Amino acid sequence: MGTDATTPMTVLVTGASGGVGRGIALACGAAGWEVWIAARRGPEAAAVADEVSAVGGRGRWIECDVSREASVQGVLEEVAATSDGLDGIVHNATSGFSSQAGPIADITLPQLEDHVAVASRGLYLLARHGHALLAARRGSMVVMTSEAGFEGKRLLAAYAMVKAQQRSLVSVLAREWGPTGVRVNAVAPLAASPAMERAFVADPAMEQRVMGRIPLGRLGDATDDIGVAVRFLLGDDAHFVTGQTLMVDGGSCPAP
Amino acid sequence: MGDSSATGVTFIGPATPSADVLAGALGASVIQHCPADPDDGGWGWDWEPLLRGWQHDLEATTPTGQVVVCTWPTVVSAVPFTDLGPEAWRAQVEWPTALWFTTLVAAAGHCTDGGSVVVVVERPVTLDAPGHAALVAVSDGLVNLVRSLAAIEGARGVRVNVVATEVHTAPAVPRGAPPALDGFPGRIGHEVAGAVRLLLSSDAGGVTGTVLAADCGR
Repeated sequence: MGTDATTPMTVLVTGASGGVGRGIALACGAAGWEVWIAARRGPEAAAVADEVSAVGGRGRWIECDVSREASVQGVLEEVAATSDGLDGIVHNATSGFSSQAGPIADITLPQLEDHVAVASRGLYLLARHGHALLAARRGSMVVMTSEAGFEGKRLLAAYAMVKAQQRSLVSVLAREWGPTGVRVNAVAPLAASPAMERAFVADPAMEQRVMGRIPLGRLGDATDDIGVAVRFLLGDDAHFVTGQTLMVDGGSCPAP
Repeated sequence: MGDSSATGVTFIGPATPSADVLAGALGASVIQHCPADPDDGGWGWDWEPLLRGWQHDLEATTPTGQVVVCTWPTVVSAVPFTDLGPEAWRAQVEWPTALWFTTLVAAAGHCTDGGSVVVVVERPVTLDAPGHAALVAVSDGLVNLVRSLAAIEGARGVRVNVVATEVHTAPAVPRGAPPALDGFPGRIGHEVAGAVRLLLSSDAGGVTGTVLAADCGR
């Protein structure tokens, strides 16, 4: 029998001031875990931390810009010092351009840099400065990627590219970190979100395309569908699972 | 048999001996060398002028229907990901990502209607990937960019595919089961060039958005 829902853990979730990141934080909080909300938006992060405490966890928050090395290093040091260690890191933060659909020729270099800086550089910095902490607790890292990282996207080409980079880094890190007892996995979610709702309003045909390929017939809930899957990968029930990308998308994307 | 003649092949890649061998084996009629790696400038991309100039150079050439983009890196040294310093990260991930994204978008858009683009990447299989996280990340990102480009350019009948190689990163003693074929990791002028020619040819007329591993079955 696993212990993921009963063994208290300390985890840090980036980009958790809303959306899927908030759902992950709440799912972990519901298991009684200590959850650090790491985000650029302090007030929103603080509000989610309060929600985590309200559902039975211990919510904490800290401002973090995952694209800046000094920020990531400082955050991990403060979290480890305050909580006496760290069991899990979830890299959920994504570029503000992630849901900005458009022709590939219109993607500017600054936009491309932002995609890389938040998704891939953020993963690199969290790995570089977080591995020793995770190794000390035989912890786990989970990276939030996307079905776009498998398939490519006609109107989200830069986003799709960095999501594939994340998947690759997860697969290599799992092999490199395995001997230290640290597991690394990815989750490719398809969840309802304010951004998705706005996109459906703007493009009703998109809603038909997206919903028409989901066997389970609905978008995922950020907490009850996506968050619990991430919690599983962080917890002891997944102690023999590493290097994987778990599709949590209602069957939408046929994994290759 | 398809029109696999190398005549009319535009080859875009680094000015390195191995890339030259591939260009020669393909009989490339036009060779364009990508910009050399810039000096490290710290965090923050300052490559806009360099990449804009490069994009202009690509778009100024006469379009062809057979385009090969070779992304092989100059130096491939193995280092654990966590030990990769910030300067190495920028040089091995961020700069190549910016360079090849710019290049692939320009090259695919510049290919004539009904043509074929083949992107050659160094991508050690996962068993051989430890120590090569940076390279694998860039290559897999490009693989997925190719899938996006295949969907975009397919409306013009342009096909976009990938040939994955392990010619620069093959371990002396592969982990696990040995490759299916002798000769691993394959020769640039033979097995690799052959895979590229296949994807360029009309024999692959219904193939787009795919990855063909030219690695002797590794």
